[in-house]
Amino acid sequence: MTLLFVGEILDLLTSPGDLSGVLIEGFAKASLYLMIASGLTLIFGLMDVINFAHGAFTMYGAYIAGAAVLGAGVGSFGLGGSVLTFLLVVAFVFAVLALFGTVLEVTLIRRLYEYPPIFQILLTFGIAITLEEFMRIFVEFWGVNQGQWRFDWSSPRQETLPTALRGTKEFLFISYNGLHLLQIAFGIATAVGIWAFLNRTRYGLFVRAGVEDEEMAKALGINIKQTFTVVFAIGAGTAGAAGAMLMWDRLWSVSVPLALEVLLPAFVIVIVGGLGSFKGTIAASGLVGMLDAFGTWAFQTGVITFTGIDDLMIFAVLVLMLIVRPRGLFGVEGQGDHG
Amino acid sequence: MSSQTTRGGSIPAWVGIYLRDHVVHIAVVALFVAYPFLYDFLTATFGLTAEMLLPEVRTMLTVLWLGLFAMSFDFISGYTGYLSFGHAAFFGIGAYFVVLGYNGQLPVIPAELPFMALMLLGALLAVVSAFLIGLVAFRLTGVYFAMITLGIAEIMFIVATRWDFLTPGDGDPRDGIAAGSPPDVALFEPEIGIPFVDPLNAQIGPFGEETLLGINIGDPEIVSYFMIGAVVLVCYFCMQRIIHSPFGRVMIAVRENEARAKAIGYNTFNYKLGAFMLSAFFGGIAGALLVSFEGTVDPDTTFFFLVTGFALVASIIGGLGTLAGPFFGYIFLEGIEEFLAREGGGGGLQPFLEQTLPGGVLSTNLGGTTVSEALNSFMTGHGEFYTGIIFILFVLYIPVGLLGTLRQRLGTESVAKYVSRRVGDRLASTDQSE
Repeated sequence: MTLLFVGEILDLLTSPGDLSGVLIEGFAKASLYLMIASGLTLIFGLMDVINFAHGAFTMYGAYIAGAAVLGAGVGSFGLGGSVLTFLLVVAFVFAVLALFGTVLEVTLIRRLYEYPPIFQILLTFGIAITLEEFMRIFVEFWGVNQGQWRFDWSSPRQETLPTALRGTKEFLFISYNGLHLLQIAFGIATAVGIWAFLNRTRYGLFVRAGVEDEEMAKALGINIKQTFTVVFAIGAGTAGAAGAMLMWDRLWSVSVPLALEVLLPAFVIVIVGGLGSFKGTIAASGLVGMLDAFGTWAFQTGVITFTGIDDLMIFAVLVLMLIVRPRGLFGVEGQGDHG
Repeated sequence: MSSQTTRGGSIPAWVGIYLRDHVVHIAVVALFVAYPFLYDFLTATFGLTAEMLLPEVRTMLTVLWLGLFAMSFDFISGYTGYLSFGHAAFFGIGAYFVVLGYNGQLPVIPAELPFMALMLLGALLAVVSAFLIGLVAFRLTGVYFAMITLGIAEIMFIVATRWDFLTPGDGDPRDGIAAGSPPDVALFEPEIGIPFVDPLNAQIGPFGEETLLGINIGDPEIVSYFMIGAVVLVCYFCMQRIIHSPFGRVMIAVRENEARAKAIGYNTFNYKLGAFMLSAFFGGIAGALLVSFEGTVDPDTTFFFLVTGFALVASIIGGLGTLAGPFFGYIFLEGIEEFLAREGGGGGLQPFLEQTLPGGVLSTNLGGTTVSEALNSFMTGHGEFYTGIIFILFVLYIPVGLLGTLRQRLGTESVAKYVSRRVGDRLASTDQSE
């Protein structure tokens, strides 16, 4: 068994086509994980709120994006047109979810900043189950997932994904999947965008000041309340945009359980990277994405026969990381402890 | 002390004091015992109205094991302040152990052991796993503790959904396993009671015995309700005893100020680990009780993340850090779900409205559907929607929960103590007036 495994790995390392395929898939998965987790880490870093409704935001984003993409008939536009429309759809989803996040923050979450952190966990958990069940009622009532609207909602990709992005392609010796490249592009855009927001904008400065020392930031006249709202809106919007991206991916589906499927890996990445550290989140997404891709590869080549290997790997990373480095890769002492 | 006797009787005085101390417990237990008969009586008298408002006996039966699980969750999370977010792991271990053990799929354990033995062994396995998890997890605090327990429970969930060892043959582990499913194993007929005393045992389950203590009750569901309820009651008293012991005081000290508890000289790590193992024991028992009635397990009702999630919801509604609170929280939760969403096949508001609203209103058109259809969609099977809203309201406006609020109003550390003191005062004043 172990000998066989070594042989398989040698095979992989000596075959550039397979290796590049696995690596590209790993980067694509890492990009998805980064998009999923970055909103969560942003909100936690500043506000110390562990947002359990994050997965629900992503699920809503996926549904809205599915509706928009199907409604616009993206599949028939050709590659350039579809990608451009998709960009518009992502921007639209971001705006809708950001608005929704703002409303939630102002009406509900704001009330609990003075309470111990567990109450924010509880509140967002309550919001999450309400939102999920509401979508379930909606979906059932209007028969959305049963194809009543002429579309197969559980996988809008089948009708709308441009043919150029489907299937595996070869370039020299590298085998890749068009959609993976799009995902990597979006992942890089997310990383750069959030980095630029934090380091190059006025609000980013406020956010960093707030993370550093909330009292002092307040004393210097920074409107922390407003900053919290903006950050929560951006976090929610990013979650929604990630949902739009997941909509096209073969391994995820537009369905109500998506919320939980997204939420748990997002937690893992945020914890593994270190709570509140954006750098850590990028590193952890890379780690988990690569492990996921290699786990899938190990299953496909028959080295491991356990079907849940990729899911299992994610949580094994979490447990191992917490044993070896309790603060995560780039965590700060004192974040997320008691009190 | 014991030589003193009460007025005009030969009963030792401590019996009176004991009964007075437990007056709330006795009243609550009496209410629970009477409930199935009360339910029958009220539904027979008031018909649909009572059926709408009262949770069914079947629902109360579910509440028993879920409530016990929520109490065990609260035992560690509410009293030591360490949020055990993967508590479903112990519920699942207890449940899976009974099924696998009965089917003879586990090493060492012979097939077809009596249920009581399997239940205790399963709970002990939960204790052992809590020890191993705790060794690692209690090096962490706060969110990190919650996350490592969640991670471990999720790993168990994934294994339970995918590992084909669990279902010999070609079954899908995701669909669950039934106890007694292998052809060479006898039917699963669990008995709860005191071992080796035949009259004090009863076979439970939907097709179990209909008589208890020689009385013909006529409904196996009610017999199961009593027997499972008895186990839950014993567990509750054990936990209550631990909470009020010096050990329990240290648990509360850990919650209030761990650094200070450590400074006084308590090895808080050992106390936390001990409390975690104890709560795992009761969590395992709760899982076994689920199997005792249902006869099957599946990952979604045992190891799933939301099993812990709803124990947390029940704990908040009932009052985190009050032992009985989560149990009442679960009654409230399931009652609401039955009322608004007809979960558990109960009466609920929707059939009531169907019958009482005039036909003209019901067939009014609402953008493509009638009021009747809309009612049917929104009020059948979507309990979590209403639960979520109620939970949010609780977190915002009643964060200490039902029992917690009562406790604050009365200004004591526990409601039972307050009532027994009042009863004691009342008795003392009548003594004086005589």
